[in-house]
Amino acid sequence: MSVLSQLNVIRVSGLTKRVSTLEGSLTILSDINFSVKSGESVAIVGASGSGKSTLLSLLAGLDVASQGDVHLDGEALSKLDEEARARVRAEKIGFVFQSFMLVQSLTALENVMLPAELAGDHDARAQAIELLEKVGLSHRLEHYPSQLSGGEQQRVAIARAFIGSPKILFADEPSANLDSKNGHLIENLLFDLNKQNGTTLVLVTHDEQLAKQCQRILHIEGGQLEKISEGVTANVG
Amino acid sequence: MWVKLAFKLFSREFRRGELTIIFAAIALAVLTVFSLSAMTERIALNIAQKSNAFIAADRRLSSNHAIDAQLLTKASEQGLQTARVLYFDSMLFANDELVLGSVKAGSDTYPLKGKLTIKDSLAGQPYEVDTGPTLGSVWLSEGLFYTLNVKVGDSVELGAGIFKVSKVLVKEPDAPFFSLSGNKRVLLSYDDVPSTKAVQAGSRVFHRFLFAGNEQQLSNYYAWLKPQLKSNQSWEGIKDRQSPLGNNLDRAERFLLLAGLFGIMLAAVAMAVSAKRYCERQYDPVAMMKTLGGSRKVIRNIFLLHLSLVTVFSIVVGLLMGFALQTVGADYLAKFMGAELPHAGIRPWLLSSFIGLVCALMFSLKPLLDLFDIPPLRVLRRNLGDALALSRLHLTLSFMTIFVLMWLFSGEIVTTIILFVSTLLVITVLFVISRLLFAAGRKLGLRPGSSWSLAIATLQKRANANAIQLISFALAIKLMLFLVVLKNDIISDWQMQVPPDAPNMFIININEHEVEPINTFFTDNNIAHEAFYPVFSGRVDAVNGEAFSRQVSKQEDEEKNEENREGVDREPNLTWLASLPEGNEITEGTWFAEGETAGDEIEVSVFDGWRETLGLKLGDTITLLVNEKSIDAKVTSFRSVDWGTLKPNFVMILSPNMAGKVPVTYFSAAKLEDKHTKDISQILQRYPTISMIDIKSQIEQAQSIISQVSLAIGFVLSIVLISGALVLISQVQASLAERMQEVVILRTLGAKGRLIKLATLYEFMLLGAIAGLVAAIVSDIALLVIQQQLFSVEGQLHPYIWLLGPLSGAIFVSAIGYFMVARTMKQNTQGLLRKIA
Repeated sequence: MSVLSQLNVIRVSGLTKRVSTLEGSLTILSDINFSVKSGESVAIVGASGSGKSTLLSLLAGLDVASQGDVHLDGEALSKLDEEARARVRAEKIGFVFQSFMLVQSLTALENVMLPAELAGDHDARAQAIELLEKVGLSHRLEHYPSQLSGGEQQRVAIARAFIGSPKILFADEPSANLDSKNGHLIENLLFDLNKQNGTTLVLVTHDEQLAKQCQRILHIEGGQLEKISEGVTANVG
Repeated sequence: MWVKLAFKLFSREFRRGELTIIFAAIALAVLTVFSLSAMTERIALNIAQKSNAFIAADRRLSSNHAIDAQLLTKASEQGLQTARVLYFDSMLFANDELVLGSVKAGSDTYPLKGKLTIKDSLAGQPYEVDTGPTLGSVWLSEGLFYTLNVKVGDSVELGAGIFKVSKVLVKEPDAPFFSLSGNKRVLLSYDDVPSTKAVQAGSRVFHRFLFAGNEQQLSNYYAWLKPQLKSNQSWEGIKDRQSPLGNNLDRAERFLLLAGLFGIMLAAVAMAVSAKRYCERQYDPVAMMKTLGGSRKVIRNIFLLHLSLVTVFSIVVGLLMGFALQTVGADYLAKFMGAELPHAGIRPWLLSSFIGLVCALMFSLKPLLDLFDIPPLRVLRRNLGDALALSRLHLTLSFMTIFVLMWLFSGEIVTTIILFVSTLLVITVLFVISRLLFAAGRKLGLRPGSSWSLAIATLQKRANANAIQLISFALAIKLMLFLVVLKNDIISDWQMQVPPDAPNMFIININEHEVEPINTFFTDNNIAHEAFYPVFSGRVDAVNGEAFSRQVSKQEDEEKNEENREGVDREPNLTWLASLPEGNEITEGTWFAEGETAGDEIEVSVFDGWRETLGLKLGDTITLLVNEKSIDAKVTSFRSVDWGTLKPNFVMILSPNMAGKVPVTYFSAAKLEDKHTKDISQILQRYPTISMIDIKSQIEQAQSIISQVSLAIGFVLSIVLISGALVLISQVQASLAERMQEVVILRTLGAKGRLIKLATLYEFMLLGAIAGLVAAIVSDIALLVIQQQLFSVEGQLHPYIWLLGPLSGAIFVSAIGYFMVARTMKQNTQGLLRKIA
């Protein structure tokens, strides 16, 4: 593994995504190029329909590009099949979603342990409890998602995202479904944990204020990377 | 690795009720198949045992020539029980009275099935015994006691032997339906036959070997016996007889089979609905697991383990519940039947487990494959994968599975195809109708804000989902209505066969000059009776001048007609009549025209069943051998005969110009009561050649079997009704999640609970009523076809179900819907919001 790839934990080159519609082929993302260094926090911002969620799905290997490639920690996703991409996600990636995406039949603790268990690690309990303590839910371990408030559910999701100490954390509008108080709480938690763990954070948001908390901001418009600006924390990190 | 997670997920999903419907559906399929097959098997065994008593055996081999005793030895070697019986007429003499008795000599194992009923004295109480008289004694029927003026303990001469009269013979299980023996019956031990010296070379003796054992043994034996059967020998079981009983048993079996098929269909629908729904509800968790790095293999293993666990668990529960249900059912039936039902073998256990397994596998296969294919991207694009929901492959697989299950259960391809294709047609018709109905509903303008308006709006909004729901409702209601009506029709048809005023006594051997006085006697005593039919026996000697035996050997399909030919070989009772008897219908040709048959040419109307066997067509000439005299008759018509009545039926009816050409005796039937016994004895003494056959016991037995089968059918029907109800519940439950979302929105927007509840009530009421109406129409049409095709019952329309269908549909469906939504409404809006989040 080269020094460059170690530094650039995410490298995107010529990334293009086209989908076929009834009216013919539609380009959602066109020739996107950028890199993200290890431990860096990057926000992807843009209006609804600009292609930011599509970009996130390609970065995380949830979808495949029509052209170009994404290198995650040195691995070219285009060369991997679905199973291998799942392995990469299991080993290197954590997720936080707008709609929390907790498994309803599992308790808060079990939801946090889920990624570790899927990867075959059954000793994740202690780490999961510790993470839940960190997000302030040590008293809610055995509660089911339906018994938790939206803010609490998202905190469980954040704890889940950090289990197994992933290298990269993808967050898709993590506070969009929450009121402003809870939203800020979640955002702070995300950045704090990110800092503590030295994780690379890629955050998709339409919230400029939230984006500014990241070191760099990628502005997507009409499927193209319009500009890259620096956030308020750029020089702090 | 993944096993612990899989078990954890399984136990949680189970507790959350996510697996309840799929579990209930498999358990229901297993329960239905188990209880139906076990009950039908037990009832069939019981009926077979009881009805085999009608021939005192499971099978019998009869001939008017001596039968090789080797055949009995071989049967014993193969584990069959055997008995031999000899029938002959012999003179009885006592107290200076001489009378021709009809003698039956049975070996000590006779009867193999059923019991003999006897009395210790004429005034004594009848009771049942398993074996006949001991050596040196005879049992006489009541009539002979009067004719010979003897009492129990006296001696009678039978042929060259002297025997002690030890019992009064009341009832034999295998008393012949038509016989020349009348009420002058004698039963003695087979070993006493030589001492009577009545059976000599050339004597008219009828030989019969009786066999009893399990079906396998019997069919093995028959396979060995068949090649050596002689033309004068006939092999028969109860079902081979063209008797009312055989027909009724056939219908009962067909009904039970049909009910079982419907039960399976209903359970399969419930299973298909619930499997698909369960998998759809797992789309999000699976997408999430894939996103979190779960490999396809791990996910596949987790859900396959879930399926295996739920399958095993539900099969076990289904078997236990089925066993409990059929035990309760059997106990209940046993009380009415007055006897324990025989136990079913291992078949119901195997069949129901296998069907449960096939159900679980086949109905979940496609939804599961779809589930494994859910892209992880669904976590970002929430509707991704929804398009997979309804595929042609899934539909095809489901229909194929239902077809195979039906075939597997019934073992009858024709019935399966008829039912399957008709159901497919019903579904298509229902789909079109429902789309049209919902489209028409859009044009209805209703007051906004009312429950009705909300109900109609909801119905329209979910036109597609409703179409599927409507089809399920209608299908379930259709199958239930169908069985209810069929049950009523079959049972009333049976009861009509044996009406309360049916004749219970056949009077035969009446000479021409005796007809008038007997007729007067009947009229004077107010005794209801049938017409006096002229009767003679004759056999078919030739067709179109060609000897009959050669005619038959030319037939290609000899095997198939073998059993019928044996019938043809016998000497049946024939008659001539001016008008077509009740229960007969001309299928080809014309009935004898009045006046035109006065010429020399004799015409004959032949029973349809003999037409193929004899290879007859209209215009053929049949040569009958009657008392050594040849009589030519031209075939002018073919008839269908309803053998299901206890009325005299004839395979050949000749034209009235037969009168005077052959010697005849007359035959009639009357309803006699106990108070007539003395008068009857007087008649018999005055006209000693007349014989009376008491068929009271046959009627009683037939009535008892009819009531047993009716009970059994009622029981089976109730199982199918439960299955149908569960389909309705599973369908309502399947749509509950979507409904809940709406309830929450409406609640959040401040809608009153009453408005929502009433709207649901009306919505389901409309759905149920529409489904019920469509179901009623379709069932009535299907009933017309099925009754004629499968049950040989005259089809008729049933206007009452046109009301019953929509009414029961509306009440039942709305009750379930209302109950479920009302339960949801009890939770507060916040709780509901979280549940659907």
